[in-house]
Amino acid sequence: MTGRITQSMVSTTLLADLQTITSKLAATQEKLSSGKEIAKPSDDPFGTSRALDFRAALASNKQYQTNVGEASAWQDATDISLSQIGDFVQRVRDLTVQGANDTLGASARASIASEIDQIIESVKSVGNTQYAGRYIFAGSKTTTAPYTPGGADAYAGDTATITREIGPGVQVPINLDGQSVIGDGATPGSLLATLRTISNDLKTNNSAGLQTTDLAALDTAVDTITNARATVGARSNRLEAALGRLQQLEESTMKLLSNTEDADMAKTLVDFSQQQAVYQAALRSGAQIVQPSLMDFLR
Amino acid sequence: MGISTFMGLETALRGILAHQRALDTTGHNIANASTVGYTRQTADLVTTPALADPPHGLLGTGVDVQQYTRVRDNFIDIQLHAQTMRKGYAEAQQDGLNQVELSLSEPSDTGLSSLFGKYWAAWQNLANAPEDLATRQSLVQTAATLANGFNSLSSQLTTIQAQTTQEQTLTVAQVNSIGSQIAALNGSIKAANLVGQQPNDLLDRRDVLIDQLSTLGNVSVATTAGTPGALGAIDVTIGGTTLVSDITATNVSLPLSSLTSGKLAGLQAVIDGIGDPVTGYLTKLNALAAALASSTNTQHALGTDLNGNPGGAFFTVTNGSEAATLAVAPAVLADPSLVAASASGTAGDASNALAIADIQRSALVAGATIDTAYSQLVTQIGSDSQQATQTLANSSSLVDALTNRRQSVSGVSLDEEMADLVRFQRGFQASARALSAMDQMIDELINRTGRVGL
Repeated sequence: MTGRITQSMVSTTLLADLQTITSKLAATQEKLSSGKEIAKPSDDPFGTSRALDFRAALASNKQYQTNVGEASAWQDATDISLSQIGDFVQRVRDLTVQGANDTLGASARASIASEIDQIIESVKSVGNTQYAGRYIFAGSKTTTAPYTPGGADAYAGDTATITREIGPGVQVPINLDGQSVIGDGATPGSLLATLRTISNDLKTNNSAGLQTTDLAALDTAVDTITNARATVGARSNRLEAALGRLQQLEESTMKLLSNTEDADMAKTLVDFSQQQAVYQAALRSGAQIVQPSLMDFLR
Repeated sequence: MGISTFMGLETALRGILAHQRALDTTGHNIANASTVGYTRQTADLVTTPALADPPHGLLGTGVDVQQYTRVRDNFIDIQLHAQTMRKGYAEAQQDGLNQVELSLSEPSDTGLSSLFGKYWAAWQNLANAPEDLATRQSLVQTAATLANGFNSLSSQLTTIQAQTTQEQTLTVAQVNSIGSQIAALNGSIKAANLVGQQPNDLLDRRDVLIDQLSTLGNVSVATTAGTPGALGAIDVTIGGTTLVSDITATNVSLPLSSLTSGKLAGLQAVIDGIGDPVTGYLTKLNALAAALASSTNTQHALGTDLNGNPGGAFFTVTNGSEAATLAVAPAVLADPSLVAASASGTAGDASNALAIADIQRSALVAGATIDTAYSQLVTQIGSDSQQATQTLANSSSLVDALTNRRQSVSGVSLDEEMADLVRFQRGFQASARALSAMDQMIDELINRTGRVGL
């Protein structure tokens, strides 16, 4: 700086400095009031791209959690239905053992048979269980009732798997089709066919069949139901584990996002009061800008 | 040769007149202490030619004002103009990019990136309940919102571009107006110089105009060749195109052959930043919209809708203006059952919806996913804007420093002027006193000499 200082230099310098400190103050104030370190991309272009990535990750994480919730609810509905079917099968087993008793008369067997017929209807209506308006045992034909209570023992669904995405590219099957759990009247060995056979044997007094093949077939059916429940349980566990992992990931991503995007309040406040002090000092010096000149002393 | 008796009167008179002129100049300086572009002037006092007084030597004859000098350092002007050009560029660019940034409204819960998130989530939700019409309706609405987001961002960019172009036109008009003023001043300056006058205040006014011009474009100033130049005329070019030659101003129009800095170039940088066919923001946004529409449509066509028909178009776009025209196909918008969520055709199968949701993870735009490509675009805009802001801050402080230096040389210091005022006033008084002394001396000679004994 050259030695010569003129009046206009003093005022332009003061104005420029006031301008600078005012804009700094305004920026700090914006950080304080919004709580955000990044108000627009140019504040920190790299940070912005990180923030956008984290936000996208959080959004898909949230969606995966929704998917897991949806899948878990489906498992719960399946498990309740399977437990009901299990209870029915247990009751049928008791009745079969009772009906296989050689001392029992035809009329007693007929009444047992009619109870079993009722149970068959109940099993079929459990097979028609709906979750959120969808038939859960119908494979992918979720809008079609898989069984016809009071009608033929046919299965109207398919054996397709329904999957839910619970992570990037991770899909889990959520359904058990009716064919593999309950079966239909035309498939020997399936639950429905076994129950029909027992009912028929009771009606035709086939106590030998009741004592041997029927009980064995019933035990196989119980195993199938138990296996199915185990599958559902394992899926529930997997979903629960996935949910825990997703929640953990959500928490850490939120923390990263906050570190990137949110203002450090303590630091910002300190900055703010520092800038305020500078601003006030500049204003004070501005009040003195009209310094006495030689004019004031010459007469 | 003898010396005239009255010579002392002449010498004193010259002293009075010279000091009066110097006082006037000081008064002029004080009066213009706050005038924009005013350059302080000094009255250069020199001794008048001496008289030969042999054998004594040379007898001084007093003082005269040789000229009124403008105290100015042209080198500072050249440096200052270089920085005002940079500042003008950065200011215009920063202003435009700031608007672009505001139209992005990122990072936030309302920008396009969050709409992407909602869009992918809507496909996942559909995969959770493919047979549900309400879920389908919600997907279609979410997709329409995303398309609207593209449309409005595109239209905002186009608007900024149009406004910037308009501002450029206005700026060119300003350039031409300054050009004709400079040409007129050239004429006045030449006329003044021709009759031997120093057109200091005209030169100041011309310099202010050049200062203004240099914020608008890259300006070069040269003395006109030949006699006009010798009389003070200058030639001015802007962006490599002649604007003023002697007393002729030529109206310039865009595009200028080598426009490199100043407001005009900064505005052009904003226009190109948005519209460049390879790297422009709008071009990249269009590529995003095109990738989204074509990938969604391709996968959608592989699926089956709720009525068992193969999927039709999900999005419609017009090539070349994808972002502005992206929309959900009207048929799908009217009947969400036409969304082809199923791959096998059964109502509960949602693998096609999942496949569309998985487009989120496929690299479609120059090796990046749609989300990443968008985030890259935001980063690019942010970096460009940050750079412009930094250049602006840097050139502003340089302009301030150089302006200060110019003020230091050319500005009016009231202390200095007050001291001059006293100096010249005293000089005036003393010269007047010398005149009185001469008068008394001549009175002595005329009225009292030769009257001895009377």
